[in-house]
Amino acid sequence: MTDPFLLIAYILLFPGFLFLFAYSMTFEFLDRRIVARMQNRVGPPFFQPFADLVKTLGKEVIDPRGVDRPIFDAAPVVALAAVMTSFLYVPIIGPSPLAFQGDLVLVLYLLTLPTLALMLLGWLSRNIYAAVGGIRAVTMLFIYEVPFFLALMMPTLMAGTWSISDIMAWQEEHLCLAILQPIAFIVALIGLQAKLERTPFDIPEAETEIVAGPWTELTGRRLALMHLANETSAVVGSALIAAVFLGGLAFPWTVESAILSATVGFLLFLAKTVAILLVLSIIRAATARVRLDQLNTIGWKYLTMAALAQVGIVLVMMASGVGI
Amino acid sequence: MSVLSEMLRNLFSKPVTTRYPAERVPIPDGFRGRVGCADDRCIGCSKCSLVCPASAITMVDSPRMVEFKGRTLERKKRPSIALYQCIRCGLCERHCPADAIHLRNGQSINGSTLDEVVTCTL
Amino acid sequence: MTRIVVPIGPQHPALKEPVNFRVVTDGERIVDLELNLSYSHRGIEKAAEQRDFIRVLPLIERVCGICSHSHATVFSKGIEEIMGVEIPPRAQYIRTIIAELERMHSHMLWLGVAAHEVGFNTLFMWTWRDREAVLDTLEELSGNRVHYNMNEIGGVRLDLSPSQVEAALARMPVLEERIRAYVGMVEDEETMLTRFRGVGSLSREEALSFGAVGPTARASGVDYDVRKDDPYLVYDEIPWNVVTDTNGDVYGRTKVRIGEIAESLGIVRHCLENLPGGPIRAEAPKAAPPGEILSRYEAPRGEVAHFIRTNGTARVERVDIRTPTLANWTSVAHCLIGRPLADVPVIVAAIDPCLSCTSRITLVKSGGDLGKDAPPPNGPRGWSR
Repeated sequence: MTDPFLLIAYILLFPGFLFLFAYSMTFEFLDRRIVARMQNRVGPPFFQPFADLVKTLGKEVIDPRGVDRPIFDAAPVVALAAVMTSFLYVPIIGPSPLAFQGDLVLVLYLLTLPTLALMLLGWLSRNIYAAVGGIRAVTMLFIYEVPFFLALMMPTLMAGTWSISDIMAWQEEHLCLAILQPIAFIVALIGLQAKLERTPFDIPEAETEIVAGPWTELTGRRLALMHLANETSAVVGSALIAAVFLGGLAFPWTVESAILSATVGFLLFLAKTVAILLVLSIIRAATARVRLDQLNTIGWKYLTMAALAQVGIVLVMMASGVGI
Repeated sequence: MSVLSEMLRNLFSKPVTTRYPAERVPIPDGFRGRVGCADDRCIGCSKCSLVCPASAITMVDSPRMVEFKGRTLERKKRPSIALYQCIRCGLCERHCPADAIHLRNGQSINGSTLDEVVTCTL
Repeated sequence: MTRIVVPIGPQHPALKEPVNFRVVTDGERIVDLELNLSYSHRGIEKAAEQRDFIRVLPLIERVCGICSHSHATVFSKGIEEIMGVEIPPRAQYIRTIIAELERMHSHMLWLGVAAHEVGFNTLFMWTWRDREAVLDTLEELSGNRVHYNMNEIGGVRLDLSPSQVEAALARMPVLEERIRAYVGMVEDEETMLTRFRGVGSLSREEALSFGAVGPTARASGVDYDVRKDDPYLVYDEIPWNVVTDTNGDVYGRTKVRIGEIAESLGIVRHCLENLPGGPIRAEAPKAAPPGEILSRYEAPRGEVAHFIRTNGTARVERVDIRTPTLANWTSVAHCLIGRPLADVPVIVAAIDPCLSCTSRITLVKSGGDLGKDAPPPNGPRGWSR
């Protein structure tokens, strides 16, 4: 894909920003609908997330007194830009054309940016709830990030590559990594749930404790962009886990035509991300919010330990040649 | 596990939400809704206006002959109920000697205008 | 770490009614707490002095939206006692049925709110869905979902028809099954248990010394229930048990409340099945003889007490309302110190606070004792309370 026009189309239209935008709206709809149905409610109609976005975009932007406006304006944009950029390295219709050795690390770090932006927003808001929420967000970052990163590094260890597309390709020849490394897969799912700040990890925005946390003073387009950044990172996170652990677009049989093959791969991508979303939604609906100190225990005592145990298991497996 | 099983059961069953206005919850008999007074029964005793906790009922002039317990008598007044003030406690209904004033199980529109009154309907 | 003051309320998503906590935290830990009550003083006690006994009941009922029947019953019970009127058994049974249905819907509401406070919205949706069955029953029996207005001095306003009784009984098995499901959920749901267990612990001694009432006290092992200790209506005739627990924390209070829903269901079923015939009201005089009475009642949240003074007219000279929330506030303040900030909503919610009902103005005389119940020295003044 060296043609610059094709590359621009890839980045901007499909499967780049436009698709990401549409899919994140669908994702949010599915998430809200699934949770609503589990709670025996009706849930929102299909266009609701989009309507919400348009509405919030059109709302007045209110500056809290004494706020540093340029940074306050920039933080949501940076968060959204980081997430959208990270999406380009995740394979959607075949390996990403921008793939390089180490894009997994880049994607992971780009996915961390929204949390940091949130912390910054909370800190800049001049609001006690936002400040507490910002501190909570960044405290939580230190707790879940370690097991999450460890879990996502495991495939690189086994596949011997730092590129997401290469890890995906490796799984075509071997078993899918969710079977080879089940603990890492589960830890990564829980880590993603924490990264997206969904129950039981919605500590920074705990409504009943600190109103909306860092989101409290966000209005208008800041709120809309930040919200969009959150929704897109749900898509990117699911796509990343689907690619790294579930074999992404890989399917065991061969399809003749290249276009058909890409279509089947794309449909598999959709199916796998939605399956991951379903798991995340079930977790969201079935749990209560844990406390920060309890998350500390869960994160360090169980998740990190599980991830470390997985490292040991993977090393033993590699030494003995199982699954490779 | 009971939470998970119920969640999955709900996922594949119909939501309980009543989709107003397409479907409506039936209003049971005896629901204290919109207040109304039967003009041909009211004897104008003004008991309802005395017991009304919200002082929503005032008596207005309305001379007319009404039948009450087999006798025909001439009444002077009838109640006029300010819907905005009515709290639908049902005390007027309970204390009415002539069984004239009632709270019906219809939509209880409380009125957005301060001076909307129910005089004698039903 | 520097101390920060987190204001919670008077407007805050965790609070359903206005109250203000100035929480001083050291990081996430609460080191100090200041409680400001009475944001919604409505002058109900004074307004009650202006109305005769027929017109005062709908007002008294509006002290609280959830325990409306409790306030109306405790008030009419007191007045009837002063008048020396014995209300017929059928009226007593009907009052009991409404009271226990009210307790059921209140506890179900609480369970949902408590789950929501810890972010477990699924249980919140489910309990409120199932609570509709109780509210529908109440609507069918009394004509309204919240303010039943079933009481009047000397009996009840409405009779129950056989078809109503049958319809109400038909709902009971469904509710029974739901209550069993809640018991399972509360025992199973790990994340909720971690938020409830050991949170807001109140030992038996503390509960007694803070004067906690209702499920808050019973969860700490205080076996105190006005229905058992000072029986009124038909509670001494029908089979039921006081539910207590020894955990003393929010988990214990949850267990007590769920146990009480089951007990209430049993009481309602017993009363509906054994509803005696006869009149529904006794002839009560218009005016009450001069007298004073402290009428007590076990509301869903705990003991509610009305002090009533009559002066021979058809109006009360003074009515003083002590709601259970007021009795439980001090224990909340005690529980919160030293806890993480995240525990504020759940500890506050655990006593099932009903803030607007609690809003009374208390005159504190410097040098004297806290004169909550004592009238001002030169008789009741117009503006007091």
